[in-house]
This record gives sequence, structure tokens and C-alpha cells, in this order.
Amino acid sequence: MRMLNARRVGAALLATATAAFMTGTVFAQEMTMWVRDGTAANAGKVLVDLWNESRPDNRIELTVIPNLQMVTKLATSIAAGEPPDLISLDLIYMPDFMKADSLVDISDEAAENPNFDKVIDAYKDISSYEGRTYGTGFAPDVSVIAWNKDLFRKAGLDPEKPPRTIYEIHEMAKKIAALGDDTYGFYFAGSCPGCNIFVTSPLMVAGGAKILPRDGEDTALEGEAVKEVLQVYRDMWTEGLVPESAETDNGANFVSGFTNGNVGIAGTGGFVIPLMESDFPDLDYGVALLPGLEEGQVSGFVGGDTIAIPRGSKNEELAREFINWVLTDEAQLEGLAKNGILPVRADLATDNKYFANQPKVQVTAEALKVGYVPWVFHFADMVNSDASPWINMLQRAVFDGEIDEAIEEARERMIEIAGE
Amino acid sequence: MYANSSRYVGLLFMTPALLFVAVFVLYPLAHLVYTSMTDASLLGGGEFVGLENYVKAFSDRGFWRSLWFTVSYTLYITPVLMGLGFLAALLTTENTRLKQVTRGAIFLPVVIGLATSSFIWLWLFDQQVGLFNRLLVDFGILDKPLVWFRKADLGQLAVIISVTWKIVGFGMILMVAGIQSIGDDLIEAAMIDGASYWQRVRRIILPLAARSILLATLISAIGSMLAFDQFYIMTGGAPRGQTFTSVYWIYQNSFVYFKLGYGSALSLILMVIIMAGAAVQIALTSRKGSS
Repeated sequence: MRMLNARRVGAALLATATAAFMTGTVFAQEMTMWVRDGTAANAGKVLVDLWNESRPDNRIELTVIPNLQMVTKLATSIAAGEPPDLISLDLIYMPDFMKADSLVDISDEAAENPNFDKVIDAYKDISSYEGRTYGTGFAPDVSVIAWNKDLFRKAGLDPEKPPRTIYEIHEMAKKIAALGDDTYGFYFAGSCPGCNIFVTSPLMVAGGAKILPRDGEDTALEGEAVKEVLQVYRDMWTEGLVPESAETDNGANFVSGFTNGNVGIAGTGGFVIPLMESDFPDLDYGVALLPGLEEGQVSGFVGGDTIAIPRGSKNEELAREFINWVLTDEAQLEGLAKNGILPVRADLATDNKYFANQPKVQVTAEALKVGYVPWVFHFADMVNSDASPWINMLQRAVFDGEIDEAIEEARERMIEIAGE
Repeated sequence: MYANSSRYVGLLFMTPALLFVAVFVLYPLAHLVYTSMTDASLLGGGEFVGLENYVKAFSDRGFWRSLWFTVSYTLYITPVLMGLGFLAALLTTENTRLKQVTRGAIFLPVVIGLATSSFIWLWLFDQQVGLFNRLLVDFGILDKPLVWFRKADLGQLAVIISVTWKIVGFGMILMVAGIQSIGDDLIEAAMIDGASYWQRVRRIILPLAARSILLATLISAIGSMLAFDQFYIMTGGAPRGQTFTSVYWIYQNSFVYFKLGYGSALSLILMVIIMAGAAVQIALTSRKGSS
């Protein structure tokens, strides 16, 4: 009898434990999210931590993917039917993924949630295809121009006045390079297509140029600013105002080219501001909007990441909930702004307590509002690849001096690619 | 009756190998052939387009340029690897302690991953912090540090130096095995007949180790025709796509431009070219062997 009771008690305990375990399993719903390394990974970590703190039953497991592998991994995971539940994607790939029906339509959320409308325009545009919405902004970034105030002082330039035209960049670069002693006026990563669409193309766009074609019938590289910018780059190169190593820089020295402290002016991104604070606190520098041909012309390339749900997500409803939450004041301010990351909502980008005393961040927030992002298919083919017409044009024009031929060749090839 | 059952038993023994080949070679190959006849994208979809991708490949300047670059890379690096490998094999064939240690030291880089060694050499060649540049300047060979990857030929030379360091030990080991299989009596007889060292090398060692040398050459040439990692890491195709190898170009098309169908067609074209080259080499090997 005692044996029987002991067995019954044991069985009851086992059943209770099993039930408890099962209950936990049933109600705990975990999600996976992929984010590429860099600024987006920082944003992903702080937001996911904040989400996980308040939702222990709906935790997100964040995986940081090397930037160069992200698109391939995502595409193959979708094709294999095993994608993550959420994806933080380089915004420039949105058109290709939307067209391929690889992302979940979240137009209902966009219509019902007023915060979607408050997102910076560039992210809204790049996340829409044929009137439907497939994502929203997640981790903003934008290009700006940076200048070294110490070198400006030494060269007799006003350290508080950034260049206001590309011609001023040239003139200032001359004076800084004249300091000698391994000092250069300007820097750009000459073999990095992505870096140059980020910091060089806005100089052209600010001057009124159109860069990329949307389809095979569209125009490309139109406007005098394309040639003017390439000519200024060419002149700075031949005059020795740019370090020789710039020609082969595939992006590895995109940041360090400026942070080394021996370069006067360089295009860079908003992401550099927290990096400078932590790693180069003694470097006295300023940031401003990228200029064009005339005073008052400004632009920037809006980069960073959008957030979307890949087709085949196993937790679609919860993923939708997370996207809605990302746009709340809590996530934008206590998650992003508090950690020095720009909010993606235009109404909070500059107007928040965390950025009130950070003029450099205010500049990047301003750049986000005036910046552009090209809504095109085949961006990788036209721009981002190592043999793209974009980088071929830049290299042929700047390093070989064949500016007109370089533009013409790139234009033809871009339109050909856009027509595919 | 006995013959029949014996045939079935033979077939039964072969079944695992046949299954392996069918699942891991034939099926993927058939799938590759099919994909090459579609306009499949990495993002999904794909309509049957017949031979369109192959027609397109013939007018793809990028592909033919990359193929020519790959062939030239193979033609440059193969003699270097074989020549140095043979010299190293000659120097370290005897099994003395010192020569065994030397052999081990030369072979050591072979066990390092190609990507790892490429990263090491990328930084060794760096203009600002690279040790290799520093040495060349210190020894007076260069006036100032060189930007190695500015020109395609210099970039190719840098890759050849790095790959030679990495791979030369592999050819050496194969050739050491070939040389060690030559009977001592032959060498001793030649010495008694008054043959000098180089006469023994030319008249005895080279002909008798020819099979090992040709095998090493075949493996090396195929490996060079499939080069990818070292160029992906060290040159990134720069300058202006002039250092794209064929596999790198296929990778670009398949995974960067998402053109999976077209990339498959390029893969098959490359496979046929390599198979033709390998067949020629094997034919040469057989002829040498039989003679």
C-alpha cells in the first residue's frame, strides 16, 4: 500500500513537472533575428535587450552576420524555407527582396500604426513597392563631411567653417597638404564602391545630378555635377592632396583614413561620432552636410538598415508586434537615442533630451532629412560590386584621367543592367 | 548460375559507392545543368530559358577576361610551385633529423587555411604597416613601401608569393615520396659509373619521379584554375575587376548579382574547360608512364 502511494505520488509529481514544462513550452515563444555587423548590430543589441527585459516569454535571439555575407545568407535561408523571423537589412536591398516577394507585406500595420508615418521619408520610400509596405526604418545612418580642426588651424583656415562647395574642398585641401610632413588634404577609399556611393555620390546629387537609373528606359549619371566632382577628385589626386594608398583602399581604411589625424577633410558617416568619442577623444573635428557645386546645395546618402519579416517566418504575428514596438517612443528614445544611436522617427531624431547637447548628432539628423536613397533594382550589380560601372567610372576618371569616357561607359552599362 | 549470382554480389558491393556518386555527384550535377538553363535568381523563381545563358556567356567580356586571368595565373604559378617543390624535395629527401625538420617546416603552411594565410599576407604586403614592404625597403630593394594591389600584375605577383609560401610544401611531399621510391641501387650504380649529382638528377631521379611530379602538377594546376579565396581576400578583384578569377566571377554573378541560373552556366563552362585540361595532362602522364 505504501509502495502504491509512493508510486502514485511519484507519478503525480512527474505529471505536474511535465505539465509545468509543457506550459512553459507552449506559452514561451522565441523569435530569431539577424542583423548585419556595424551600426545596425549596435541598434539590434540595445533594442533586443530592451524587448527581452520586458518580455521574458517572447525573447528574441539575435544573430550578428558579417555584412558581406548577409544578403547571400538571407536569400538562401528564404529559398530553403528556414529564414529568421526578423531581419535587419541594408536598406538598399529592399527593392530586390520586395520584387522577389521575399518579404511579408506589413501594409496593415503601416495603416493602423501612426508611428509608421513619422518615420524619416527615405526609409518609408525604400520600404514600399507597388503601393504596399514591406518594412520600416530600423538603424539609420547618413553620410556627412568631416574636417580636422587642428589641421585647419595649422593651415590658417577657420576651424569652425567647413567647406561649402566641392571647390572649397579642393582649395582647403591644398592648404592642408601644404603643411607637409605626411599630411594630406582629402581622403576617399578609391577601391570601395559602397563607400563612394555613400560619400561621393551626395556631392553630385547636391549639385543636381541624377546617379542611378530605375529601369532600362531611365537616365543615369546625368548633370554637370557628375563631371565636376570627378574633375575635382582627379585634380586633388594628381596634385598629391590624397594619400597614394587611397587608390587601393577597398574600405578597410575608410574610417581610419580620417581618424589617423593626418587628413584634413573626408566624407564619412554618422556612425563615426560615437566611435570618435570612445576611441579618439583627442581628435578635434567637426561634421557638416556634404556640399554641392554652389553654396547652399547639400545632400547625404541615407543608409543604414530597415527591418522586415522574411517570407517563411515561423513567428510572423510576434514579429509584427516587434516592428510596431520598435517605432514606439520607448524603443526610439530609451533604446536608440539613449545609446547614442539616431532614432528613425523624424519627430524624435533631433528633438530629444539625449541629443540636445550633441551638435554633431544634430547635423546627422539634419542630413537624414535632406539626404537621398536611390530606389533601384540591381544595386549590387550597378554599384556595390567590385567590378560595378560605378566604381569603374570613379577609378578610370580619377586615377586615369579619362573622365568623359568613364562617365559614358558607366552610363551605358548602368542602363543595360537596369533593363535586365 | 554461379556467374550470375557472383555478378549480383559484385553489384551489391558496388552499391554504396554507386549510391554515393549518384547522390553527391550525379544529382547535384544534373540539378546544376537544369539550373543553368533557367533564369533562376538567388531570391527565388526561375523560368526555363534553354541555352540563353550559354549564349550570353560567350559575349560576357567579364567572364572571358577572368578566365584568361585565371589561365595566366595558373601558367605563372604552376612552374614556380613545381620547380621550388622539386628543389625542396631534392634537398630534403634523405631521412636525416635536420632534413626531416626542414621538410616539416616547409610543409607547415600547408595545414593553415588558405583564407588565414591570405589575410596574413594581405597585412604583410600593406603599404603602411606591412613587414614585407619594410624588409624590401631596409634591404634597399625599394626606395619606399609599395602599394602592391594598385596594379593587376603586382597584385597577382603578391598572390603568387603568398600561395607559393602556402602550397610549395604539398608538391614537395609528393615528390619526396616519388624520389624515395627510387631504389638506392640505381643511384649507387650511377655513382660508381661516375655520374655527377646533376647527371643523376637529370637521368635517373627526374624520369623515375615523373609520375609524382605530373600528379603534383595536375593537382596544382586544377587548384589554380579554381582559385578564389586568395584573390577574394587579397585583391578583391581590384583594380577595376582585373584580378577576378573565373570562380570569383561566377561567385559575383551567382551570389552578388543574384543570377543563379547564369552562374550555373558559367560553372559548367569552367568545369568543361578544366576537364579538358586535366584530360590532356592525364594523357601526357599515361604516355610518360608507359614509355
